[in-house]
Amino acid sequence: MKKLLTLSALVLASLAGAKDVTLVWSGAITGPTSDAGAPFSAGVEDYCKYANQKKLIPGVTLKCVVRDDQYNNANTQRNFEEFVGNEQVPVFLGYSTGSMLQLKGIVQETKTPTLTSSYHIGLIDPPNNGYMFLPIASYSENIVGLLEYVASKDKGAKVALLVNPSPFGRDPVVDARKAADKLGLKIADVQEVGANNLDNTALLKRLESQGVKYVINQNTAGPVANILKDAKRLGLLGKMQFMGAHYAGGEDLTKLAGDAAKGFIWATSYYLYDEASKPGMKLVKQIGTQNKRKADTISSVHYTSGMLGAAIAIEAMKRAGSNLTADGVYKALTGMNGKNAFIPGFTVGPVTFSAKDHVGAETMRLLQADGTGNFKAITGPMRSKVFAQVHPMK
Amino acid sequence: MPASRFTQTGNYRVRYQQDQTIFATAAEQASLVVGLLLLLTLPFLLTALGLPKTLLRDVNMVMIFAIAVIGLNVTTGYAGLINIGQAAFMGVGAYATALAATRLNLPFFLAIPLGGLAAALVGTFVGLPSLRLKYLYLAVATLAFQVIFEWTVGHLPLLAQGGAIALEPVQVFGVKATFFNHNLVWYYIILPVLVGLALLWRNVLRTKHGRSLIAVRDNDRAAAAMGIHPGTAKLTAFMIGSFYAGIAGGLFAYFQKAVVIEDYTLHTSVQLLAMAIVGGLGSLPGSFLGPLFIVALDRVMGGVSGWISEKQLFPQGVDAATALRPLAFGLSIVLFLMFEPRGLANWWRLVRLYFKKWPYKF
Repeated sequence: MKKLLTLSALVLASLAGAKDVTLVWSGAITGPTSDAGAPFSAGVEDYCKYANQKKLIPGVTLKCVVRDDQYNNANTQRNFEEFVGNEQVPVFLGYSTGSMLQLKGIVQETKTPTLTSSYHIGLIDPPNNGYMFLPIASYSENIVGLLEYVASKDKGAKVALLVNPSPFGRDPVVDARKAADKLGLKIADVQEVGANNLDNTALLKRLESQGVKYVINQNTAGPVANILKDAKRLGLLGKMQFMGAHYAGGEDLTKLAGDAAKGFIWATSYYLYDEASKPGMKLVKQIGTQNKRKADTISSVHYTSGMLGAAIAIEAMKRAGSNLTADGVYKALTGMNGKNAFIPGFTVGPVTFSAKDHVGAETMRLLQADGTGNFKAITGPMRSKVFAQVHPMK
Repeated sequence: MPASRFTQTGNYRVRYQQDQTIFATAAEQASLVVGLLLLLTLPFLLTALGLPKTLLRDVNMVMIFAIAVIGLNVTTGYAGLINIGQAAFMGVGAYATALAATRLNLPFFLAIPLGGLAAALVGTFVGLPSLRLKYLYLAVATLAFQVIFEWTVGHLPLLAQGGAIALEPVQVFGVKATFFNHNLVWYYIILPVLVGLALLWRNVLRTKHGRSLIAVRDNDRAAAAMGIHPGTAKLTAFMIGSFYAGIAGGLFAYFQKAVVIEDYTLHTSVQLLAMAIVGGLGSLPGSFLGPLFIVALDRVMGGVSGWISEKQLFPQGVDAATALRPLAFGLSIVLFLMFEPRGLANWWRLVRLYFKKWPYKF
């Protein structure tokens, strides 16, 4: 009887001590870029549920909320106000470049650590950069890494940049130009390509006439797939090497471009679905299957990205311990380095942050699409050597 | 004449001056005063009723959109000039406001009107094709301006190439807008601007300039025969319409705390046009009701889709819930165009008529 009473008391005590904390992600589940946003949201939601199931944060039950902001900045701000202003969430997970750029001032004012799904380097540049964190290497670092690869193969080569007509696309151009100068490459052309690029003949012929051998894309997979299909039709795939930063590649690209994607070189920090031996990818499959997600969703790199964002936030909450506030999470995040680095297994390198370093998994790999539509690593995990010179951490 | 000025059930105007008054009856005047008092106390009412704080943000959004929609109604509703680039005019106002605030260090109460004037200037220029073009051709010309605007902003380093230009929080009568009182401070800035601009337009409508717009819309040749210069009237419509959009853009820039190109794209133009259609083209009450309906619909459908997702009413992988918001938006426009082309303003008119004649049916 005494044992029963003690046990009951313990259970009651633990229940009384249990705390509900909201983990919120706001992004485009519908609207522009929802092809990436929808699996991303699923990744956040499923990892959050997994954290509850495994009790990753002792004494805390997470309320997992994903909000569709329809790629509308005003909706993102509304969600931020709702959850940071009203619910005092200790960390905010955001999405698009535009909305995050707009939120920078408010994030700084409220001192709420914010992890973004946009890897725009401007988000962690001054001013108001104290509480913004990128989970993986920036688009700029991806592209400088690709330029280094080109320089190692073909010194003095002519390179073209095809970028999305938005802050997301234009962001890395300045750093790419500086890096090309340092690497002895020539940026022959920079062109903007939107989502309505149904015929790229003129563009590709122009690049061909300029003697461009390497085409680096900073775009989403859809426009890049259209370019690749046109390049195949024009017989340019052997003459030009097409490459791209994180959002340009992945299985979305191979699905859309088919065999025209063969040979495409992609820079990303994530492990991929078919790397089944990696513990992180085993977990992705397990969680995805458990939540009855479609195979397409589980195999999407954006599903893994969503899990990484949630995993970093949850780990920081866990490390914040009893100080589960924005301040506690900020301290936990900025202490995530050295022997305290976080290794969730979703990325090729550890996630490290400090007060000055707001990029998580900085290491990346270059991968190349094979004939079966899968990407295979052509480099080991690496960091760009030139990037720190062209864009020093501020 | 009725026994009381407040209970008259019809119009008893016997002089031309009476016909020109802003308010037809004393009851209308009284209802405006009561309405304004209610609006002034609205933030406190929302708090007292325990409604979510973010509702005030939605109210502010409705008011900003209402200013832009009044402007759109001036060009499209009253003057009959189809305009698919109203968001671009908003953008011109927003960027001009941002430059005035960040480069010239002007306070917000000067920067925003300057944004409105910049938009009016651009609007007058963009309106030039309206001297030669009508209907769909003019729509394409305004669409072209929308595209040119987005392209220009994207290529101008002065405008951060479409990236964010942050605006400092404002201070009004010693009260600084912070994250926690931002919506309240801006409510009391936007409300008088909206009321002032609405009254201004109602007054302009009574003048020969306002009437000439309607005359040109109905038949520009007949208007010309009556001594109205259709070209001047059309340019005036574009100037006034884009001035309103510019003011809305400047307010939106401060309200959002930063200007980003994504807020002023074709999607926003379409949304504004939808608000004008749902509210009722060529109607001042419709300019308030349209934004209110579209913003409320979005919030309600967002809530419903969230509830459906939470309850897992659809099998995993079927995104029916998230499709509800865009579906409801599209469906509402189609239904209004089919069954109530005069928009919510007509419903508002019928409700007012009912109460005006109450207890009599006719």
